Amino acid sequence: MSYDLIVIGGGPAGYLAGERAGAAGLKTLVVEERFLGGVCLNEGCIPSKTLLHSAKIYDYARFSEKYGVTAENVAYDHAKVIKRKNKVVKTLVGGINAKLKAYKVDVVKATGQILGRSSEGYQVAAGDQIYTGKRLLIATGSSAIIPPIPGAKEGFEAGFVVTNREILDLEEVPKSLVVIGGGVVGLEMASYFNSAGSKVTVIEMLDHIAGQTDGDIAGILLKNYQKKGITFHLSAKCTEVKSDGVVFEAGGRQEFIAADKVLISVGRRPNTSGIGLETIGVELEGNAVKVDEYGKTNVPEVYAAGDVNGYSMLAHTAYREAEVCINNMLGRRDTMRYNAIPAVIYTNPEVAGVGETEATCRAKGIDCEVVNLSMRYSGRYVAENEGGDGICKVLINKKYRSVIGVHMIGNPASEIIYGAAMLIESEMRLEDVKELVFPHPTVAEIIREAIFEF
Amino acid sequence: MATPIIMPRQGISVETCIITEWHKKKGDRVEVGDVLFSYETDKASFEEEAKEAGVLLEIFFEADQEVPVLIPIGVIGEPGEDITPFLPENMAQGQAADAAAPGGAGGADPAADAGAAAGAGASPAQVLSAGEIKISPRARNLAKKHHVDLRSAVPTGPEGRIIERDVHKLVETGPKVTAAAEAEYAVLDRPVAGTGIGGRVTTEDLQKAAAGPGAAVDFAPGGATAEGPQIPAVIEYQDQPLSNIRKLIAKAMHQSLVNSAQLTLNASFDATAILEYRKQLKAGQEGLGLENITINDLILFAVARTLVSYPALNAHFLDDTLRVFKNVHLGIAVDTDRGLMVPTLFDANLKSLNQLAKQAKRLISQAKAGSISPDELQGGTFTVTNLGTLGIESFTPILNPPQTGILGVCAIEYKVRPAESGYAHYPAMTLSLTIDHRAVDGAPAAQFLQELKQNLENFPLLLAK
Repeated sequence: MSYDLIVIGGGPAGYLAGERAGAAGLKTLVVEERFLGGVCLNEGCIPSKTLLHSAKIYDYARFSEKYGVTAENVAYDHAKVIKRKNKVVKTLVGGINAKLKAYKVDVVKATGQILGRSSEGYQVAAGDQIYTGKRLLIATGSSAIIPPIPGAKEGFEAGFVVTNREILDLEEVPKSLVVIGGGVVGLEMASYFNSAGSKVTVIEMLDHIAGQTDGDIAGILLKNYQKKGITFHLSAKCTEVKSDGVVFEAGGRQEFIAADKVLISVGRRPNTSGIGLETIGVELEGNAVKVDEYGKTNVPEVYAAGDVNGYSMLAHTAYREAEVCINNMLGRRDTMRYNAIPAVIYTNPEVAGVGETEATCRAKGIDCEVVNLSMRYSGRYVAENEGGDGICKVLINKKYRSVIGVHMIGNPASEIIYGAAMLIESEMRLEDVKELVFPHPTVAEIIREAIFEF
Repeated sequence: MATPIIMPRQGISVETCIITEWHKKKGDRVEVGDVLFSYETDKASFEEEAKEAGVLLEIFFEADQEVPVLIPIGVIGEPGEDITPFLPENMAQGQAADAAAPGGAGGADPAADAGAAAGAGASPAQVLSAGEIKISPRARNLAKKHHVDLRSAVPTGPEGRIIERDVHKLVETGPKVTAAAEAEYAVLDRPVAGTGIGGRVTTEDLQKAAAGPGAAVDFAPGGATAEGPQIPAVIEYQDQPLSNIRKLIAKAMHQSLVNSAQLTLNASFDATAILEYRKQLKAGQEGLGLENITINDLILFAVARTLVSYPALNAHFLDDTLRVFKNVHLGIAVDTDRGLMVPTLFDANLKSLNQLAKQAKRLISQAKAGSISPDELQGGTFTVTNLGTLGIESFTPILNPPQTGILGVCAIEYKVRPAESGYAHYPAMTLSLTIDHRAVDGAPAAQFLQELKQNLENFPLLLAK
C-alpha cells in the first residue's frame, strides 16, 4: 500500500498529524503499537486529571468548613475512581478513532519499523504488511526513564516500583508511597495519593521541586504540600531500592523510608531505537531525533514531532509541532516557536506558567522587569480561595515593553494561562494589553492588575 | 505685529516642501534678509530669508517634516505677541476646507476627507509626519490598529493616496509585524522573514536580522578555517537615509527601465570640425561673449537643429498616443551634489548658438546651486547627457519617460583611417543614443544619428542653414 504520508506513532503528535494531513487531502496512514492517543490520553494527561479531579472533590467535601459546608461520612472509593478514569479514556480514544476515520486516515495497530528507502518512498513494516510513504512523520514519543539505581529494575519487574503508566491502574491506594523525582508527574501523583490517603514522601535531587517552574512559585507550592502532609527530601539522591522501601542520601547521611509502592518519575527518554531510523540515516542528537524549526530531519521528506525530538515533551507542544510539520509538507511555511508554550501542574492549587522566568532571562541575557502580585488582588480568587496564598508574576522585556512571561499559582491557573500565552505569542506591549477587557470578576483579571503595576 | 513665516510655493506643481534645516532657533532675534530655514522640493532645494525683523516666536514644524506650501511654519514678532491666529490647527482647518472644495483629493473618498477635516484640528503633525506616504487619517488609524507596514500598501486613492481599502488589502495579504517589533521594523532597510503568528515579524526575527551574516558563522560546520569561508565577525556599515531627490531618481530610473523598450545605438563622428570651430570661438573677439561656448553647447545646438526632422524622437510616448512636439525642449542632464537633475532648455531649436549656450550655462549653474525653479525641471522632449568629460567611451543612457530618446555624449578618442599615404589619425567622439523602441524603430533612429553626425562634422554648414 502506498501513502502520501506514514505517521509512526498515534499519540498527540501522530494522531493530530493524521487528522490535519487527512483534512488536507493527503492519503495518510497512522501506525500505533498500543493505543491511539498515546501516553497523554492513556497513561498521562487525561487519566491523571480524572484522578486529580476526584481527589479535589473529595478534599472539598472534607475540608469545606471554612466555606460553611460540612459533610459527614465522606468516603473515597479508589476502585470506582479508576473505573471512571478508564471510561473517560475509552470515550476520548473512541473520539480520535472516529475523527481519523472521518478524514479517511488509515490506522494500523502494530509496531512500525522503517525498512529503507526506494524510488517510490520510504518502506515501513507494520504487522505483516509493508507500506510505502512518500513522506514520514516520526512521532514515536518517549518512555519513562528507570534510572540505574540498584534494585530499581528488579523492583519494577516485581511490581513494587511503578512509572506513570502503572500507577494509574493501581487497584488499591498504597498505605505509603515514595515518589522519586519531584517534577510535574511526581508532584501530581503525590498530590493525588496524598488526598486519596497515602503517606507520601517525595525525594528530589535538586534543591527545589517542580523543575523549571519559577522559584518563588515552586516554594509556595512546596509549602502548600507540606501543609497537606507530604514529606519532601530535597537535594536528596536515591541510592537503592529495596523490596520494602527506598534508601536515599541527603546532607551526607543515608536514610531508609519504608514504602508500599515506589513511583519513579525522573524524566522521559525519546523512543528512537528499534524503529529503523538508522536504515535511512536519520540524525540523532543524544537520544532525540534532530529537527529544524520546520520539523524536518536531515533526511528529505522525513519529519519528526512530539516527545521524540526531545524539546519540550508536552502534548500541546506535540500538537503544534505536528501541525508545523504538516504545513511544511503542504508547502505552507510554518515555523515552530517555543517561546510561548504554557506549562501547567494540575495540583491543588494549580500552577501555570508561560514564557520566560527571571532565571531564563538571566541565562539568555534578556533585560526584564518583573511584577509579582498576590492573587488576592483578584476578587474572585478571594471569594473562592479561603486563605489562598497564590501569586502572579508578569515579566516584560524592558527594551520592547512587551510581555515575555506570566507565571501563577492559584486556581484555576491552568485555564487562564492560554491568555497569557497569546499576549506573549503576539508580542503585545503593556500599552496594548491595557486596552484589553477582562471579564469581571475572574481570577484572570490578576494579569490585568499586574500589567497596570508596571 | 506678529507675522507668520509662510512656506513658499516654488513652482506651480509643488504641493509640499520638506524643511531640511532651521538656521534660527526659537527665541532668536532675526533681521530682514537673515536665512531662516532651508527646504527642498522633490527636485531642488532653497533657502528662505526673513522678510520681517523681530524674534522667532515659534516654530511649528521641525526639520525633516513635509509641509504643505503656503501655510505658516513659524511666527516672527515681539515677545508676548499673540501667535494663536497662526497656529497650524487654526490654519489647517481652512486648508482642509480649501482642499476639499476643488474636488481633487476630496471627491472619491469623502469618508476619508471628512476624517481629514476632523483630524486636522487635533494633530496636524500626524497628518504630515508620514514623510512621503500620502494617507487618509482613517486609513492611518486602521493601519495602526493592525500593525501593518504602510510602505507595502498599494495606494488606490486619488493622487496616489492610501485609503481605507488599501489598508484592508494590506492586512489580508501584506507583511505583518507584532506590536513590540513594529517600531524597529518600521525603520528597517531590508525585508525580514517573519516567524511569528501568521508569519508576523517578531522581535526575535529583528534580532536575528540585526545579527546579520555574522550570525551565520555559528552554523558553519567546524567554524571558519583558513580554507573555509572567511566571514568577519562584524560587518561594518552605515545606513544613510535616502534624500528626497535620491528617492525620486531611484523611482524614475527604475520606472523607466520597467516601462519602456530601450535600445541603445552607438556611432562616432569626426570631431575635427567642432574642435576647430570651438578654437575659433575661443580666439574670437572679446566682448561678444562667445569664448565661453563649449563643445557641449555645440552638440546641444546640433541636436536641437537635427531633431526637428525626426519628430518621433522629439516626442512623448503616452501609451496609446505619440505626442509630437513642434519645438525642441532639450533636457540637459546635470550632475549635482544632491544627485542627477535635468533642467529644460525650452525652444532650443529656435535659439542662436550664443543664446543657447548662455541659457544652458544658467540652467546648469542654477541646478548645481539648487536654486532652479521646479518649473524648469520639467517639460523636456529629448535629453542630452554628457559623460565625455569623465572619459567615458560609450554607455547606455536611461530614458527620461515619457521622452522617446536620450543622447549620451562620450569622450574624444583618437581613431585612424586610411589616408592617401598610409593612415591618418583624427579625433573621434562617440554618441550613444537610447530610444524607446515602442515609439521609434532602429533604422530611423540610426538615420537621426547619421544626420547628427553629418551636421557635427560639418558644423559651419549647420550654422548657415
